[in-house]
Amino acid sequence: MWKLFTSDLKMLARNRQSLFWVLFFPLMFTFIFGLFFGKNTTVGTIAVINKSDTQIATGLTSALEKSNIFKVQIEDNLDSARDEIKRSQIAAAIYIPAGFGQMTPSSDKQVQIVYDPGSQVYSSLSGVVGQYLTTVNYQVQNSKPIFSSVLEPVTNRNLTYFDFVLAGVLGLALMNSSIIGIGVNLAKYREDKILKRITTTPVKSWKFILAEVLSRIVINFIQISIILAVGKFVFDAHIYGNILIIIPVALVGAFLFQSIGFVVAALSKTADAAQGMAQAISIPMMFLAGVFFPIDSLPKWLYTFVQYLPLAPLLRILRGVMLEGTSPFFELKNAIIIFSWIVVALIISIYKFKLSDE
Amino acid sequence: MTKVISVKNLSKKYGSLTAVNGISFEVNKGEIFGLLGENGAGKTTTLEMVEGLRKPTSGNISVLGCNLEKELTCIKEKVGVQLQSSAYYQFLTLKEILDLFGGFYQKRLDPMELLKMVDLSEKANSFVGSLSGGQKQRFSIVASLVNNPEVVFLDEPTTGLDPLARRNLWNLISKIKSQGKTIILTTHYMEEAEVLCDRIAIMEKGKILAMDDTHKLMDQAEFPFTINFVKENVKDTIISKLEKLGKVENLFGKNNHFIVRVKEKKDSEIAIKIVESINPETITSGRATLEDLFIELTGKTIED
Repeated sequence: MWKLFTSDLKMLARNRQSLFWVLFFPLMFTFIFGLFFGKNTTVGTIAVINKSDTQIATGLTSALEKSNIFKVQIEDNLDSARDEIKRSQIAAAIYIPAGFGQMTPSSDKQVQIVYDPGSQVYSSLSGVVGQYLTTVNYQVQNSKPIFSSVLEPVTNRNLTYFDFVLAGVLGLALMNSSIIGIGVNLAKYREDKILKRITTTPVKSWKFILAEVLSRIVINFIQISIILAVGKFVFDAHIYGNILIIIPVALVGAFLFQSIGFVVAALSKTADAAQGMAQAISIPMMFLAGVFFPIDSLPKWLYTFVQYLPLAPLLRILRGVMLEGTSPFFELKNAIIIFSWIVVALIISIYKFKLSDE
Repeated sequence: MTKVISVKNLSKKYGSLTAVNGISFEVNKGEIFGLLGENGAGKTTTLEMVEGLRKPTSGNISVLGCNLEKELTCIKEKVGVQLQSSAYYQFLTLKEILDLFGGFYQKRLDPMELLKMVDLSEKANSFVGSLSGGQKQRFSIVASLVNNPEVVFLDEPTTGLDPLARRNLWNLISKIKSQGKTIILTTHYMEEAEVLCDRIAIMEKGKILAMDDTHKLMDQAEFPFTINFVKENVKDTIISKLEKLGKVENLFGKNNHFIVRVKEKKDSEIAIKIVESINPETITSGRATLEDLFIELTGKTIED
């Protein structure tokens, strides 16, 4: 049994195709989304061309920098900034004319915002600028606002889209490596008659299967750790949950997809068929179970259905645990859906998955 | 003689298809027993039932004195199985595979010793994918010896190999026999069965048509004696003289190459004298081959 386990581990490490699904594929997504939405990637870069040295003008520049919504780039020529906008190198530019902020009648009283209508930066930029100027206006007029609003964030945690996607990619990685890994691998073993050969030896089938599952759980553990580490340390992902809860939850997910992998292996005669079936299961789930975007925004009739896909409840739990630090059982429904899928998959596997032909 | 395997009235049905139809045979200790027949004759199904891989529809099998159904695990410890055209783990080295499979048994042999036996010591740290066809087959056979089995099952061990690699395997198989192991193999090569097997059962459509010691089996042929000769323009009078003694055939359309098949030894001597009188280019006389018998029994040759 130990030998089967270590041999399985060796084979997993040597199999490039399985390594692709286990590590390269999810890391690719982590890097792509990390580079777009991770560390230091704010909504966009804006250029500030400040020709004035008044306190009001420098105050505006620092207000923009402090807003943390944009990456501020100081430039000194509006025309070259315009070109950069056209080339999509920056999203917008704000021009503060010379003398802006001087309390003389002839001085410029307007800042100019140049923007790319295709970018959404404009609204936040004009918001920040407008808010700043309103405050300045009140101060200059020596009055106070009568009506105002109070902002209350739902969570005081600073979450980004990357944080959302990282949990999704974790689920995606577990799904692909387990369904494709187990399904295709065991179908190939059957095609090569390795399973049949095993049944000619006195080894018990359950030992063979347990070794297969355990070795993959070890690989999944490494996989989860690497994805989380890359997310956190390379792209500054915010992980608020306890790692000692996140990993076991993820491993339950791994087991869920492994049982589905066994169903795939049981129902397909060849490795090619298993590959096709595994992809037919995992690719739609990748988009419909909420890896890259929240599925609550789908049309209601579709949502009612896709919320029960095996990956969907896992992602809900993972996001709850990772992003909000909630208990995995916060919404019991999710745990029940996962458990039911595991039971269904195991029942099918037990009846349909055979090492030998008879 | 000790019986190692005893099969009685064994049948296997798949729906309306009867793959194996009430066959019985016994295998003696230390011999090579061959199941000979064309593809689909039921050889593999028979073998796999004896190996415990398939459940018989009816009949009894006992291996090494144990009842197959009741004491399967005990039997599995003592037998070695090589499956037809099976592959091994892609990402384990030869040594690791033998080590792994050895671990399944209570009794096991050293992987390096086994590899040495089949001249694969140098490939100990290679993957199966890097082996040639003959090497793969040798490895597949040696992998069935990891538990030092008393009985070895080989399912078409030389199918698809070139003649040299095939001879190489014959040597290996006889080496295994010389270690005192009993071997039961299937083949569709007449020559292989004739050379290797001590006893042969000829199978056709799920039934055993003939079974005996290999050399005795040939005596069962209706025309056990043959005379081969080559001669251009043989006169019809000579042919009709020979036809009175037995059957006269041309060898696959060669109209100068004749085979005369006769039933009795004395007729064969007369035929030889007749042929010699016309000064043939070559003449050989001999006994019917296994193939001749097979054609007589089944009315056809085996096609690959």
